[in-house]
Amino acid sequence: MRVGVPKEADVRNLTRNRSLVAGASVVALLVVMGISQLVLERTAAAQNKGAVQAPRFEVDPLWPKPLPNHWILGSTIGVWVDTDDHVWVIHRSTATLGNNEKTLETKQGECCAGAPPVLEFDQEGNLLRHWGGPGQGYEWPDSNHGIFIDYKGNVWVGGNGGPDSHILKFTKDGKFLLQVGKKGARRKEGAGAGNQEGQVAGFVGGSNDQVSFGRVAKIFVDAKANEAYIADGYLNKRVAVLDADTGKMKRFWGAYGNKPDDTPLPPYNPSNPPAQQFYNPVHCADMSVDRLIYVCDRVGDRLQVFTPEGKFVKEQWYEKNTLNAGSVWDIAFSKDAQQKYIFMADGVNEKVKIIDRQTLEELTTFGDGGRYPGQFYGVHSIAIDSKGNLYTTETYEGKRIQRFLYKGMAPVTKKDQGVVWPSRSTR
Amino acid sequence: MKRVAALFVVLVLLPATRLFAHDIPRDVTVQAFAKPEGQTFKLLVRVPLKAIMDIEFPRKERDFMDLERMDQALRDASMIWLARKVELFEDDTLLPEPRILSTRVALESDRSFASYEQALAHVTGPALGNDVSIFWEQGLLDVLFEYPIRSDRSHFAIHMAFDRLGIRVVTALRFMPPGVVRAYELEGDAGLVPLDPRWSQAVLRFVNLGFFHILDGTDHLLFLFCLVIPFRRIWTLVPIVTAFTVAHSITLIAAAYNYAPGALWFPPLIETLIATSIVYMALENIAVDSPRRRWMITFLFGLVHGFGFSFGLQHTLQFAGSHLLTSLLSFNVGVELGQLLVLVLMVPALGLLFRYVVAERMGTIILSAIVAHTAWHWMTDRYAVLQQFPWPEITAADAASAIRWLMLLIVLVAGAYLLGRAGASAHDSDTPRTPSRVPKPGPALRTESPE
Repeated sequence: MRVGVPKEADVRNLTRNRSLVAGASVVALLVVMGISQLVLERTAAAQNKGAVQAPRFEVDPLWPKPLPNHWILGSTIGVWVDTDDHVWVIHRSTATLGNNEKTLETKQGECCAGAPPVLEFDQEGNLLRHWGGPGQGYEWPDSNHGIFIDYKGNVWVGGNGGPDSHILKFTKDGKFLLQVGKKGARRKEGAGAGNQEGQVAGFVGGSNDQVSFGRVAKIFVDAKANEAYIADGYLNKRVAVLDADTGKMKRFWGAYGNKPDDTPLPPYNPSNPPAQQFYNPVHCADMSVDRLIYVCDRVGDRLQVFTPEGKFVKEQWYEKNTLNAGSVWDIAFSKDAQQKYIFMADGVNEKVKIIDRQTLEELTTFGDGGRYPGQFYGVHSIAIDSKGNLYTTETYEGKRIQRFLYKGMAPVTKKDQGVVWPSRSTR
Repeated sequence: MKRVAALFVVLVLLPATRLFAHDIPRDVTVQAFAKPEGQTFKLLVRVPLKAIMDIEFPRKERDFMDLERMDQALRDASMIWLARKVELFEDDTLLPEPRILSTRVALESDRSFASYEQALAHVTGPALGNDVSIFWEQGLLDVLFEYPIRSDRSHFAIHMAFDRLGIRVVTALRFMPPGVVRAYELEGDAGLVPLDPRWSQAVLRFVNLGFFHILDGTDHLLFLFCLVIPFRRIWTLVPIVTAFTVAHSITLIAAAYNYAPGALWFPPLIETLIATSIVYMALENIAVDSPRRRWMITFLFGLVHGFGFSFGLQHTLQFAGSHLLTSLLSFNVGVELGQLLVLVLMVPALGLLFRYVVAERMGTIILSAIVAHTAWHWMTDRYAVLQQFPWPEITAADAASAIRWLMLLIVLVAGAYLLGRAGASAHDSDTPRTPSRVPKPGPALRTESPE
């Protein structure tokens, strides 16, 4: 028996058959892939059609960098981002630090010491300027509260300590420019000199005062009209509007645009009819691009919207059953031209809410209680930079600032996203 | 002795004078538009006032600027800190100092320098009234300069020595000759920048860049070193180096034309892969006595290194003007010249080493082990950086897109295969058949022949 040499025709046939099989396999593979691709495209289209879109964020655990000099933050109760995307923070420093937190200050150990109250960070998280505290020509608040950088680069500061009934304006280097209102103006005649935050005895609201305030929470300056909007406050129950250069009072109003009335309100109860005055504190008064003023009635769990003249436009409640310190703490507007979204800090439920600005409907939330990155303990203030990244600060024992990186728009798949931890671990 | 005394006096006085000094700002951004138009060249510049030193700006109460009396100070600042720091050339001829057409103070929040038209309207429009209170360091100085030129079609070059305005100064310049907008981002004193370079200028700049880029790039050099360790003759290296060159040219050009992913994770991924390529080559040198088909793996790694080159080139491509492709090819030529220099030095040096110091095989193993050790550390460090970037969520749309690209790849490969087959068939039909072309019979083709 011997093996014969195949004919050339057989070889050609075999090669042709193999080629045909290979070709048919490739074509079949392409058909299967084409069908899969079509199915996936339809799925994607269906997902996008039904889903509401909202901005998506992830916590940036590497920002900011550690502070120098063993400095530490106290209750951090204000944040703003300036035109250079530098992040400005105000905190209560040593006044809110426990003895075990500031042994360097008390010379009992090596760490730590309260940082100066006003801090400026760049986008890399480096600390730049730092200043603040009592000085000549002005009365520094007993309890700092709220920071704002206006269109001329000036830094505004409020205060909610017992006698704080004034606001201050400085240059970015901390040079004093203006004080509006007099410290102690809300003190009852003959009352002692108690000055603890939240102390009401000895002080009385004066929401119709043309000169001074009642524990201001936040300031916003409208560049177009050069007017400052004052969220006034922890003792008063109004939004006050000033000339931003002179500090002269121009107008003010209470909830629903009513004349403010300082008569104490019963504690907030979601079952009761809406209060016709603001609760204390009136915690924010920010203007949107379409010139509407959004006012945080923190304890009343509501956001009220006004025209610049104080005409009531609309309102919305959030987490209406929240008692105690309330759910509407501070807001920031999204960076798109229409400011389509509102980001709201809620320091009781420990979340940032993402809200459709037109409908005031809450779309989704992120965050949870805790001390790890992306969690909150008393999330108090919120601000946004030009790239859409959010910055939050925490009061009480939270005592920190966090950055949440904007990750683009995404369909809303969860009402409550929880902690927006980066998808992969960072080292 | 007098000098020592003088120095002592200066040192004693220094802290006192610093109290009154105006701090040099840490970061300064200068915005500029350069527009040749007919017989004039307009240069619009915006600089923060905090960057202007030694000019006393008139002030009113609380150090707010006295805007009514600012004009002369603004003109002085514009001339001393801007005009005299700029050299503008028209066809290699230095133009005289410009005329100041207008100066303005703007608020920090002013956005009119978003476009040339808005900026021009702002600088030539109404000035801020004296009722506006701006703290003197918190304003912006806007200036419109005008240079006389012969034609807006001339070749212009500019030298903006703004490095003294701050510790870190970035100038964002937009050059706008008729029908074109070219953006430059210059750091400190970037030297003379041809705004519309001739092809010869572009070639010279980019050959130079490529040459020094490869000599500066330790990882590229180490990769090259790994490639040549096992080879003693330069001609055997020709296909390997050619494959590397072709491959890195492909990805470098693709990246320059924006075909590379722009995501933040991409550079660390490429850096990690470059380190991996060195580790692989070093390990292959150790494991394989005389590596075959090295050109193939070199081609693959060359694709990766090309992206690496593109990161080094990204910031410099702005100087290519209208000669992007020429500049890219010139950069590659520069890289090749650098590689050749390295090879010419390295191959004989290795030859001598293996001849007089250590046996070739042992030497190859030792050198490769050292390289592998270094590259391993690079790889793990870079991977740690890469790990900081989260995996993107794969959506249905992403999967559909990936399948489309895969289909395209399959079609291309199949097409290339068919073309190759067609070429081979044509060659076969032109060539007389010989028995040797008939394949050896496999089991299925065995036939029994009758005895």
